[in-house]
Amino acid sequence: MPKKIGLSDWSEQFKLVSVEQIKKFTYYHNSEWGIYLSPPATFMVYGTRELKRLKLDNSFAALRLWGFVFNESERLFRAKQIGKKVIATMGDLGIVPVIIMAFPDCVPFYPECIWWTPFFKESTVLLDTATQLGIPEATCFSKATLGAFYKRAYFPRPDAIFASTGASCDDYSCIMQLVEDLGYEIVWLEIPLRKGQKAYPNNASGRLEEYLIGEYQRVWKKMVELTGISNKNQLIKSIKKANQLRNLVTSIKNLTYEAPKAPLPGLELMTIEFGNLYGYADIEEWIDILKMIKRTIEDRIEKGLGVLQEDAIPIAWITPSADPLLLNLVEDAGLRIVQTEYVINQALVPIEEDIDPFRALARAFLQASLIGKTSERVKRIIAGVKEGKIKGVLITNMLGASHCAMETGLIMRFLSAVPVLAIDVPQPFGITEQLKTRILAFAETLKH
Amino acid sequence: MKEVLNPRERFGLLVIDEKPDRCNIIPLITSHSATVYKIGLKEYYTNGKTMAKAQIAAIEEYGHDAISIFSEVGIIAEAMGSEFIYPDDDLPVLKSPILTKVDVFALKVPNPQKDGRLPIYLEAIDYAYSAVGDKIPILAYVPAPFTTGMMLSDPNQFLLATIKNPNQVKAIIEMSLKAAIDFCYEIINAGGLPIIVDPLASSSVISPRAYQEFALPGEQGLIQFLHRYDFDVILHICGDTTPILDLLLQTGADLISLDKVALKLAIEKLAKKMRIIGNFDTTKIGFGTVDEILKETKAMTRIGMRAEKGYIVATGCEVPIFTPTENVKAFIRAAKEAGWYWD
Amino acid sequence: MVNEKKLIGYTCSYIPVEILAVTGFKPYRLLSGEINLARAGEKILKVDACPLIKSNLSYILENSDKFACIVGSTGCDMARRMFDCLQELSDIPTYIINNPRTDKPEIFYDEIDWLVKELEKLSNKRFEPELINYEIEKWEAVRNLYRQLEAGRRLQTASLLSAAEFAQICANYHRGAIELEIKTTNYFNPPIGGLRKSTKPSVYLIGSPIPYEAHSIIEMLENEVRLVGDFNCGISRFLNIKIQNKDLAGIKQAYYKQIPCIYKRPNHDFYAMVGERLKELACQGIILWTLDYCDNYEFELKRMEKTFGLPVLWLRSDLSFQNKSQLKIRIAAFAEMLRQSI
Repeated sequence: MPKKIGLSDWSEQFKLVSVEQIKKFTYYHNSEWGIYLSPPATFMVYGTRELKRLKLDNSFAALRLWGFVFNESERLFRAKQIGKKVIATMGDLGIVPVIIMAFPDCVPFYPECIWWTPFFKESTVLLDTATQLGIPEATCFSKATLGAFYKRAYFPRPDAIFASTGASCDDYSCIMQLVEDLGYEIVWLEIPLRKGQKAYPNNASGRLEEYLIGEYQRVWKKMVELTGISNKNQLIKSIKKANQLRNLVTSIKNLTYEAPKAPLPGLELMTIEFGNLYGYADIEEWIDILKMIKRTIEDRIEKGLGVLQEDAIPIAWITPSADPLLLNLVEDAGLRIVQTEYVINQALVPIEEDIDPFRALARAFLQASLIGKTSERVKRIIAGVKEGKIKGVLITNMLGASHCAMETGLIMRFLSAVPVLAIDVPQPFGITEQLKTRILAFAETLKH
Repeated sequence: MKEVLNPRERFGLLVIDEKPDRCNIIPLITSHSATVYKIGLKEYYTNGKTMAKAQIAAIEEYGHDAISIFSEVGIIAEAMGSEFIYPDDDLPVLKSPILTKVDVFALKVPNPQKDGRLPIYLEAIDYAYSAVGDKIPILAYVPAPFTTGMMLSDPNQFLLATIKNPNQVKAIIEMSLKAAIDFCYEIINAGGLPIIVDPLASSSVISPRAYQEFALPGEQGLIQFLHRYDFDVILHICGDTTPILDLLLQTGADLISLDKVALKLAIEKLAKKMRIIGNFDTTKIGFGTVDEILKETKAMTRIGMRAEKGYIVATGCEVPIFTPTENVKAFIRAAKEAGWYWD
Repeated sequence: MVNEKKLIGYTCSYIPVEILAVTGFKPYRLLSGEINLARAGEKILKVDACPLIKSNLSYILENSDKFACIVGSTGCDMARRMFDCLQELSDIPTYIINNPRTDKPEIFYDEIDWLVKELEKLSNKRFEPELINYEIEKWEAVRNLYRQLEAGRRLQTASLLSAAEFAQICANYHRGAIELEIKTTNYFNPPIGGLRKSTKPSVYLIGSPIPYEAHSIIEMLENEVRLVGDFNCGISRFLNIKIQNKDLAGIKQAYYKQIPCIYKRPNHDFYAMVGERLKELACQGIILWTLDYCDNYEFELKRMEKTFGLPVLWLRSDLSFQNKSQLKIRIAAFAEMLRQSI
């Protein structure tokens, strides 16, 4: 029976997993250290403390997913140990890795994804380190990235770092500058503001495309210097691979959102969505995991099974929660996520395959969540509300994060047809009874 | 040199074959923590929260790199029915082994949530994990099947049986293995990383042949179970293990904690496959002078750092209960001064 | 379009006032720092938005009939997002230029060209070279005068022009009131008996913009220290603009090549250029003034201390100035510390 289960139930269930199955799934095809199929308890013992409280999907596919995701830090170190180049891409959230993956044995990753680590670990270690290095207290939790660069224990020293800045969130731009000050060499890339059709009537986004193409060509040049290889056909293949992943995720999301009973919980879905950024450092294995996830979902839908109650109220979620526990709590309150705007639209949209690859990447990036107007960001959610598919909206903010401070009020205005709850995600292990009550009250409002 | 990492991060790098800022330093501070916390031993080993608090106090006092939840090797045997005496100022002493009263086939696998003092251990792990588990690994020492077997039996009879009635011994070990596995399962769910301790399997106690026939399969069984979780398993055998160094490679353990073995020899034989832990003489740490400890710890650390797969600076066995705190501090200070990997 | 409205509001030092002035409207730098307006801004913005932005937003909405348009840039994320709010809440035309964070002059130059075209449409006026030239001459002349005044502050003898007075004069520039006469004679003629040498430590002011209503902070500082220079929007930062070629290309170059904002990436040039200034002015300390949630400066406090090698006093404000006594004490203590280290 599909459901969300806690750590000890997962340990019990793991007893049924055979040694052959454990050994079957590896990353980088390495049977010595590449095994990742472990129960949540393994990662909990190694410090991922929130696993004692989180509830995860009980499918085998979810076991693979979580083992793979929690194993990522080790995977990056192993990548470097076996001679791969580890490339940090920061700020653009979705496009630069497609270029990186066109080069053999190059593994891109996003250091900012470490912002979940303090919450999974229920620990302020990285955040405190960032504060000691000069970052103010009230800042986006992506400041954990600075702590991670300083400590050198969460990922290996990157062979190259690309940092995108411009019309995006200021917090992270400041963090990237401080990373450079730690002694890391950074290639800076520009993110232009998307001004849209009205701004450039004769050439809608032509100028912006050219800027971005120039930037991506710089990335290419740097990667050629690093690897000694330049093969544009590989970029075309990399785009195809990225699209394969994106299409798979889109179909998983659509199946899940449209099913009468949610076949997969929101936390797994958020993790799946973020996998689009870079495939968690082994895109082939990640795609295989997602194929299994999709089969699981299809099977559940066919059998009329789900992990949430059938009358769970559909909501949209804007801006990802740094604390995974919130997704559990929201579903426990009787809500169900049917639409998201997780600031990574550029990682979700298909990349055109029939035009120059750099132009295709530029066009995909120009659909980024944060580089344009707030109204564009919530377009799909507004449509969902109008169609009656979304009954409420939850916005999770980070205190001190520039775009959150500016957008939330506007978003609430755009979505005023339905109840909207905006919450500031508290520090790790900081979810209070008061916050839980607010979520429950929100759910009650939606029920009535 | 400035420490950049906390113990959790440091240990995490070691087990993925990366060099942390400095060596992990894990002297086996177990019951000695009661001395640090200024409580009686009985209070230490009969109350889980107290045990955890004592361990945390020791960490605060010394700044080493792991919590060690442990009191004595009879813990599983006690849960299976062996009787122990609980002196106020000493660790539990075996009084009446269960197998002097019942047959091995009457033994039951204990429930770690209820039987003996296993729940105390679990409570200690849970408390320590909640308190400091984000920064410090919580190690829980689990007696290996052979050692537990001896605690279930009259020790002399048990040793004799390895020659006269090997099947009996194997049956005992099989039951002990099941008990250890179940205990490890609960330890893991509480947040502890099981460390296997098999002091009664050293060559100080049994022959290499006996080790190979009886102790080794028990260790292998437990390690295989833990490997299902993809844990890096620590095996600790105190005493002289020189004669069985080659056999230790067969255990499957990822880290080997040694006592009376020449460190250079251990590195030569084992360091390509296993991370080395050890092995400062516990008599010296208990009774030596600060200067001696400083000098010898540094020398030992420099040798240990040559271990290919990694090294943890440790004592060969448990730090004696009443070791002067300045001795332990000297050990840790010396290890910190000598054990840097990063510039 | 008839020039009915008088003001063309702008938010950023990278926006050329000369181009704005060609429209015939009065360039008006948006530096509203009124606490009640900031609180009013919280009707739409969260409490952790910059107080300057909150105040500016409210100010514009309350005075919308005064503005022909508002021009902004992507310099600071919150400042550019204010334009989303304006577009939703008012009918005032708005224009945002892509002000590149990285070294991309071509983007900046393209954006100025685009802005010119948009303002031509708005003002129904062709931006002929003569018109541009005229505005450049006018504004350069004003800046030259202000530079002379600013030089007065840097005299080692007691200046006849306090920083607070100078800031008020600069406010005229920012408000577009450059036609106002500045009685300079008093500032250039020392009194009979000569000038007394100042005993106060020399400090440099850096940080977030100083709003029009926040000049009291400068008075507070001057009671204890000599402000020998600043790099703040709202005071004399505009004096770094020196247009060599009196044409549109000259405008683009001058504005692009000014001492860069701290949000530029990487911001080494900011540190290099400001560092040179600190040495030229023989500064003994730095006052870092930040508005709440001003990431671009707050994040850099430790770097400033390290890079400039000078003591830094960090003053943070939500524009309420409720903590005046505390500020005074801190400033006094900082001055005392500097005196002792001389």
